[in-house]
Amino acid sequence: MKLSINKSRSLWWAISSAIILAGIISMVISWQNPDIKAPLRPSLDFVGGTRLQFERDCAKPGNCDRPIDINVVREVAKAQGLGDSSIQIVADKNTGAENGILIRTKTLDRDQRTNLQNALSEKVGTFDEQKNQFDTVGPTLGGELFRSGVIALIVSFAGIIIYLSFRFQLDYAVFAVVALFHDILITVGIFSIFGLVFGTEVDSLFIVALLTITGFSVNDTVVIYDRIRETLKINPNEAIGDIVDDAVNQTLTRSINTTFTTLLTLFAIFLFGGETLKNFALALIIGFIAGAYSSIFIASTLLTLWRERTDKSPPLVNAESIDTSSGN
Amino acid sequence: MQRQQSLLILILVLVIAAIAVIATIPIPLGLDLQGGSQLTIQVKPSAEIPQITERELEGVKKVVEGRINGLGVSEPIIQTVGTDKVLVQLPGVNDPEQAERVLGGTAQLEFRTQKPNTETQLLAFQTSRAELKVKQEELRKSNNKAAITKNQEDLKKNNQAIAELFESTNPPLIGKYLKDAYGEPTQGNNWNVAIRFDQKGGELFAQLTKNLAGTGRSIGVFLDNELISAPTVGLEFAATGITGGSAVITGRFTAQQANDLGVQLRGGALPVPVEIAEIRTVGATLGKDSITSSIYAGIGGLVLVLIFMVVYYRLPGVIADIALLIYALLTWATFALLGVTLTLPGIAGFILSIGMAVDANVLIFERTREELQAGKSLYRSVESGFYRAFSSILDGNVTTVIACAALFWLGAGLVKGFALTLALGVAVSMFTAITCSRTFMFLAITIPALKKPEYFSPNLPTSNKAEVSQ
Repeated sequence: MKLSINKSRSLWWAISSAIILAGIISMVISWQNPDIKAPLRPSLDFVGGTRLQFERDCAKPGNCDRPIDINVVREVAKAQGLGDSSIQIVADKNTGAENGILIRTKTLDRDQRTNLQNALSEKVGTFDEQKNQFDTVGPTLGGELFRSGVIALIVSFAGIIIYLSFRFQLDYAVFAVVALFHDILITVGIFSIFGLVFGTEVDSLFIVALLTITGFSVNDTVVIYDRIRETLKINPNEAIGDIVDDAVNQTLTRSINTTFTTLLTLFAIFLFGGETLKNFALALIIGFIAGAYSSIFIASTLLTLWRERTDKSPPLVNAESIDTSSGN
Repeated sequence: MQRQQSLLILILVLVIAAIAVIATIPIPLGLDLQGGSQLTIQVKPSAEIPQITERELEGVKKVVEGRINGLGVSEPIIQTVGTDKVLVQLPGVNDPEQAERVLGGTAQLEFRTQKPNTETQLLAFQTSRAELKVKQEELRKSNNKAAITKNQEDLKKNNQAIAELFESTNPPLIGKYLKDAYGEPTQGNNWNVAIRFDQKGGELFAQLTKNLAGTGRSIGVFLDNELISAPTVGLEFAATGITGGSAVITGRFTAQQANDLGVQLRGGALPVPVEIAEIRTVGATLGKDSITSSIYAGIGGLVLVLIFMVVYYRLPGVIADIALLIYALLTWATFALLGVTLTLPGIAGFILSIGMAVDANVLIFERTREELQAGKSLYRSVESGFYRAFSSILDGNVTTVIACAALFWLGAGLVKGFALTLALGVAVSMFTAITCSRTFMFLAITIPALKKPEYFSPNLPTSNKAEVSQ
């Protein structure tokens, strides 16, 4: 089976544009949303505040007999002047029993935190000190984290363009980065939709995920480029569309197998890994699928289009000379 | 052949060395895996020191070290971050409350003399301060923000006014002349802080007490410019002052306050004000939960990859799997040797680099298969498979390393750990996926029993089989 990707390129572009557009619309909606006020739902890492997580100590007799009533927790928070906090009851991963409380509030100082914890354990039950978790991030620190992440992204983009134009040519490099933007936009867009629908938050690991996607996406594109360059050297007179089609087909099994094996590990982490890595694995899964798609269907077709438009002297060679050159 | 053999020996030696390293050097776990607290301290410029330089930052780090050591936490890590932050990691500490308390204030201690004829003023200010403090406690419960701020303002003015009634000695008798400080109980529930001066401090203190003895004026004991106690000196000390170099600060402390103050004073004063900008804690069991499930998930995924490689690529798949296991050993040993602290994102980076290592082999074997199907001999196919795939592998890995470098230099904390493990993994995979699998492949095709192209690729043209079976 041979895939003529260049024949139906408007279809591939339409699919990508549709997904990206949906993501952008979602980002605009998020921005308007008074709860979010950003294209993606930012976690504590970026906006600052305090996040507390408690879990009841069920080893104590009678401590976990009654289920936690979220309204009781809300009242306690309100009494402490924290009525606008977001409160969740979380289930234990192993037992499935809902013995945990997750609270996100504005930045709390030591006393406020201790007061809240004491008031809660009075009403709800004793907490297991070993399972407590709380994070406080000052607002300025969150901003710094975000800035350094974005700068790292931009710097790596620049580095990749320079390296690829040195190894290939400038137009190859530019389209590789276009494909990269495509993958990043799709991942960010889908997470924006998740933020609206499921309340998924993005943390500093999300920036790490975006950077990893960058590396892998370029890797995928480079393999195909490498094949295009190789074929171009052997058959410099063949139409660019055919060369690209061939290169994509020859590397197709590799693209599928590599993406498949990587996704195997990622799905394992997503399904069974620690809580903290779940969203990270999910971002990578989306990004890698987008990356495989974009290197096969976007970077290569864009390169074809560009070369077709810019090559002022199209290879007007007849079929015979192609035959002789490939016969060697 | 000679070259293959020496390579084989090299690989063997490396594997044994790696196993030895892994067995002897444990990889330290990050706080997110073993549980503990992490505090980020933001250093702030003050009126006297408007610019934070490396000197101030190092000074703050020293003091912080002193105070943390006073807490008796095992294996704390204290390092400076960027230009104005100090990072404190406290493994095994579930509740950083005490650390927070101790790290908060600058703890600038000073003994001053009361100016003459201000006794009545001081008394009045102290009474109104006590009233303000009581009011503050009440307001705190009521949650009336405007009133709290107003009251705090008043307290601040009051402190200022009190401070003006005292003057520093020459040279000022401050915390740096202290040799020791510790909390000690007195009658009832009150605690005192006992201090001992060094020689110079002892002399200054004797001088100070001599001047004040019998005058009715007080010694002003100031901590961070706030009066914490104002004892008077009896007439009997008028001749020599209080000698012996020790003193007691009474201030109606609780046991905890007294001990904390002792720790702060022993650690010395901070040269500039600080603020705790970030606190992160992970419960010990929580950390254990996430490490075990992530490692199981990673191993599970890896086993699936190994099976897939054998099923799909046959003999080369087996070779790739061996190379992959060597890869895992070598990378783990590299982490141990370089002292990489393993964090959750670090594990993720490691697992992803395994993906990159697999990719290199997939590229090579696909190429080998193509050449075989084009009718080339087994030896030629394997050789050109490695040769032709190399530039793709190199380009792909270099771009990944570029992204890692950007992350490592510009990112912070967790991001750094991820970038480091991924980059190291990619570097090691260049060796195992290319050199190791290549050596094994060429070894395999010298063994006649294995020299069957159908072990390398299905659906070969018949001419090809005939050619090799001769």
